[in-house]
Amino acid sequence: MKTASGFWGPTWLLRMSPDKQDTLLKMMVLAIAAVLSFSTRLFSVLRFESVIHEFDPYFNYRTTRFLAEEGFYNFHNWFDDRAWYPLGRIIGGTIYPGLMVTSASIYHVLNFFNITIDVRNVCVFLAPLFSSFTTIVTFFLTKELKDAGAGLVAASMLAIVPGYISRSVAGSYDNEGIAIFCMLLTYYLWIKAVKTGSVYWSALCALAYFYMVSSWGGYVFLINLIPLHVLALMITGRFSHKIYLAYSTVYCLGTLLSMQISFVGFQPVQSSEHMAALGVFGLCQLYAFVDYLRSHLTREQFNLLFRSLVLIIGAVAFGAAAVATALGKISPWTGRFYSLLDPSYAKNNIPIIASVSEHQPTTWSSFYFDLQLLVFMFPVGLYFCFSKLTDANIFIVMYGVTSIYFAGVMVRLMLVLAPVMCILSGIGVSSILTTYMRNLDTGRRDKKPKKPDSSYPLKNEIANCVVLIMTAFLILYTFHCTWVTSEAYSSPSIVLSARGGDGSRIIFDDFREAYYWLRHNTPEDAKVMSWWDYGYQITAMANRTILVDNNTWNNTHISRVGQAMASPEEKAYEIMRELDVSYVLVIFGGLTGYSSDDINKFLWMVRIGGSTDRGRHINEMDYYTPQGEFRVDREGSPVLLNCLMYKMCYYRFGAVYTENGKPTGYDREAYTTEHWLVRIYKVKDLENRGV
Amino acid sequence: MKWRAFYILLLPYFASVLCTSTIDKSLVVTQVERKIDIASHLVKTYTSITIENKGSASVRSFLFVIDPTLQNKVSFIGAVTKDNKDDKLQVVPTTVTGHSDKQFWKVTLRSELSAGKSVTVEVEAVFAHALSAYPSQITQAEKQYVVFEGNLYFYSPYETATQKTIVTTASSTLESYTKTKPVSASDNVITYGPYENRPPFSEAQLRVHEENNSPFLTVTSMERIIEVSHWGNIAIEEHVDLRHSGATLKGPFSRFDYQRSQDGVSSIKSFKTILPASARDVYYRDEIGNISTSHMRELDDAVDVELRPRFPLFGGWKTRYFLGYNVPSYEYLFNKGDSYALKMRFVDHVYDDMVVDEAVVKVILPEGSKNIEVRTPFKVKREPDELHFTYLDTTGRPVVVMRKENLVEQHIQDFELHYTFQRMLLLQEPLLVVGAFYLLFLVVIIYVRLDFSITKDEAKESRLRVASLVEEVQSTQDRRSALYQSYDDAINRFKTTKDTAAFQASRKKVDADYKQLTTQVQNIYQQLKTEGTDIAEKVAELQRLDGQYKDQINLAITLAEKLVAGKASRQQYLDSEAGVNTKREDIYQKMEALRATL
Repeated sequence: MKTASGFWGPTWLLRMSPDKQDTLLKMMVLAIAAVLSFSTRLFSVLRFESVIHEFDPYFNYRTTRFLAEEGFYNFHNWFDDRAWYPLGRIIGGTIYPGLMVTSASIYHVLNFFNITIDVRNVCVFLAPLFSSFTTIVTFFLTKELKDAGAGLVAASMLAIVPGYISRSVAGSYDNEGIAIFCMLLTYYLWIKAVKTGSVYWSALCALAYFYMVSSWGGYVFLINLIPLHVLALMITGRFSHKIYLAYSTVYCLGTLLSMQISFVGFQPVQSSEHMAALGVFGLCQLYAFVDYLRSHLTREQFNLLFRSLVLIIGAVAFGAAAVATALGKISPWTGRFYSLLDPSYAKNNIPIIASVSEHQPTTWSSFYFDLQLLVFMFPVGLYFCFSKLTDANIFIVMYGVTSIYFAGVMVRLMLVLAPVMCILSGIGVSSILTTYMRNLDTGRRDKKPKKPDSSYPLKNEIANCVVLIMTAFLILYTFHCTWVTSEAYSSPSIVLSARGGDGSRIIFDDFREAYYWLRHNTPEDAKVMSWWDYGYQITAMANRTILVDNNTWNNTHISRVGQAMASPEEKAYEIMRELDVSYVLVIFGGLTGYSSDDINKFLWMVRIGGSTDRGRHINEMDYYTPQGEFRVDREGSPVLLNCLMYKMCYYRFGAVYTENGKPTGYDREAYTTEHWLVRIYKVKDLENRGV
Repeated sequence: MKWRAFYILLLPYFASVLCTSTIDKSLVVTQVERKIDIASHLVKTYTSITIENKGSASVRSFLFVIDPTLQNKVSFIGAVTKDNKDDKLQVVPTTVTGHSDKQFWKVTLRSELSAGKSVTVEVEAVFAHALSAYPSQITQAEKQYVVFEGNLYFYSPYETATQKTIVTTASSTLESYTKTKPVSASDNVITYGPYENRPPFSEAQLRVHEENNSPFLTVTSMERIIEVSHWGNIAIEEHVDLRHSGATLKGPFSRFDYQRSQDGVSSIKSFKTILPASARDVYYRDEIGNISTSHMRELDDAVDVELRPRFPLFGGWKTRYFLGYNVPSYEYLFNKGDSYALKMRFVDHVYDDMVVDEAVVKVILPEGSKNIEVRTPFKVKREPDELHFTYLDTTGRPVVVMRKENLVEQHIQDFELHYTFQRMLLLQEPLLVVGAFYLLFLVVIIYVRLDFSITKDEAKESRLRVASLVEEVQSTQDRRSALYQSYDDAINRFKTTKDTAAFQASRKKVDADYKQLTTQVQNIYQQLKTEGTDIAEKVAELQRLDGQYKDQINLAITLAEKLVAGKASRQQYLDSEAGVNTKREDIYQKMEALRATL
């Protein structure tokens, strides 16, 4: 007699109830995904060292160190005289402090328990840690939208999606690293709030929103998306008391909380970016009020009242908005926001925004590069969402559609798109697999195979095929993601490496060589002029005063530096005396073939330099040859060959190739690094009087 | 008392005892040979002094005095007798009344020098920063010239009969040198003397201006942190501030010239540090990360690390780096019971002919170390102990801080640190981890088991009750299935043995069990019904199926009895049994399916 059913696995697993087995399995998959998402981001640490990457992270690292050492109060009141000489910068009021506060608290908590980890290591590993958290939050969010199975697929996909890894590898210590976690957490709590309609979840959602606001400027996307969702629910007739309650709580609490961030200040009630949220909030009240009236009045009375109310309120609201805009109470939209709506806006109007590579429109190839399989599974997920529309599904559909537009406009926003791609693809993949797995004929051996269904021939074979193809896709996705992470996103960019002729690895550590030289062998109060890209790194690593940095808040100041770089020597000297510069630092890739050097960026300096009144004499066309080429050799345009940047980069470089006829140098060469990547010049002091 | 002997043996000078001495007029220096080595950035003098006791009483010690030009630059003084060079003599700073401006050192001889006898003592002295660059600023292409200023004569509190001085220079290129006859210069050696019969404290200028491109590297400050672990490891980290103390660089630094024409001869591109042979996990970094330019070579008796600073050091340039490594503790840490002794170098080799202006040595001992006692081979300043907190510390680890200025290679000597440590304390940290995890699990268990909600969630509790009841039903059902098996066994045995009595007995027993289980399920069914779930229906269905199944079993029993009693033929029995079995199979499948859906 058969007594036991055909279960597999060890006996202790058997003894667990299916509920517990389910939980165990889920937790295991989730834990593995979280560990994977942490460890796949460690390529650069293993290959190089535990070091901060890129440019902005250096500023964040420096401010975090300040916060950890000096405390929050000093941090809040910090006036930084090391940057933007001679203007300085009020750090406390011009940054989103969420990131620094997060790492400083982790640092303090660990050190309280005598786990002596230094600030740098906290910073380096913060982004991988938060991506683990994001993986877990993704699971919960997708679980709310669909089911636990889809959640697991989405979480595993998110763990390795290159579009997100690009901003969260170890060492890439930037706001986005924690902001994506905050964003998804807010979404999850919002969905929860919408589903339950409880104040508890709404208040939690507002708190998560506060964390998001404190950490990234991208919160604007969030505060527009949630009202959009509410609006969509209204239009589709799904508006209910639950949503009214959720939105009112989230908006009121969230806005009040967000205004506590000094960088945000009164923007939530003044700037036009936030007006949609306010408008929808008002609309909610009206809608609820109208509903209330409708339940108490007869049809005729109601229609009359409704029409007159709509007219009056519409007119008043429009008038108020117009007056406020005219009086400047509602600030106009910022340039970056305009460029979101009109991709060509920046190119035509603000060269400084256009000059940043991450603000460029996204190419098709980079969609595939960053998302691979998700590009195809995204519409599938959308289909499944549409096929079973709920309040929550509408939200994810709106999130997906809007973010895919924004990601197309600006390559940086790929980051916002990646999670929703994972969620929708997770739903898609999971739905496909559940559909076809059910068709698989996995009948026990003792049972006779079922009769083939005449309406669905080859049911089992098709199911087998689909499952196999899906598996193959998922495996390919894994390989692709690992490859992209390892090849494209794991270079610290502060240390460059190349393969030598004999296959050995050559390391170009010239940036740090130069910064360390500045740190130890220049006067403490030396002012260093460089293009703004290197500003954050110089202040963090060389600890010297710089003129412009990656904050780019003062266009004219940057433009002045651009003018100095683009002008001929005598003119440049005047500008540099005016700015009280002691050293000039340029990046020169001529010897090593490093492509993103200052000569490469030079046209942007010309454009930015020429964009203000004082730089009217700088004309981009002068720097091209008559044929319209940008050449740096003998045939280059004479204006280019005589400008400061060119001379500093190529000073005595001609001699390396034993080739004569290059223009002579200008300032005193102070230091050149081993591979000539960084060259530093000292600005001649004024002659002593009477000498 | 053993330690006392060690003290005197190893201590070349013992500055803590400042005593006053007098100049013994009966002593006469009969012969002096001085070798002054200015080939590196240090000035090293080796003075071979032959002393004769012309008095009547025997003498135990004599005085050695430093030239006034060099007296502020002394780093090290040591003395040995000529015939026994391994035996270091005690050298102690002292003062002489009437000569307060001079720096005297008292050299104690190994044995009494009796009247009329003479002895030859060799005194080694090292002076740092005694060579000054002249010109003090040079361009990248120029060579570095330095000036040495000293005393032409042997500076002595005693009369000197005959003396000779040999100056070794770095190169044969000499700008100028003092030409007091008799003097001869060849290659990189200048020989002065012999000079006869000089009175005490005779002075005359000796000035040598030479080309010297040896690395003028100075460690301006150094912090050496030794962290002792009783788990078998000693971690050492050195924070080193370096400065090129030669002629400062005037004008630009041209990388082009530096790469092409190999100039900048006085600049320092790299230097070699020798670490202990057992050094592992060596790292070389600074405030902004790894310094990727270094090479390590493991030799039999040492580990050579070729350190290259991030940039070449020109005159006046400075840099800073951290060098760290681990060594196994069995080579340096000794214990007897609970008392431990650490024996390590006070400073270690940084580069050849090194100069350390200031060194701070911090020894971090394990938590709970007590009775700390330091014994150093030379005088150091012991600063107040600190506490250091790191992984799993509760009360903090004691840190011994020692400070010493002006060190050279000759100071690479062992210091000893004695302390007591209860071995049981070694278990403190693992136990701490175990305790923490225990607490964590306990909290989780309590949190999961207990209900902390202030409201009573009726639905949830009912759900939980139902879940437990269902589990009970399932286990009862499993046991019931086992009983069916016993029925089958009993029938089969009955068929073979044809023992009716035994069969009846076993049947009765199984029947009783079965009845009990069935009532149990029935009870649970009643409970489930009160909870009001649809699972109750399923249980009822299960009971019904079970009844049918039981009927079939009864049928099988009757058939078997008939067969045994001979009331039915074998063929008949087999046919009807097959029918019963199919039915039973069918019902069993249904029951299993039902059980799974519960």
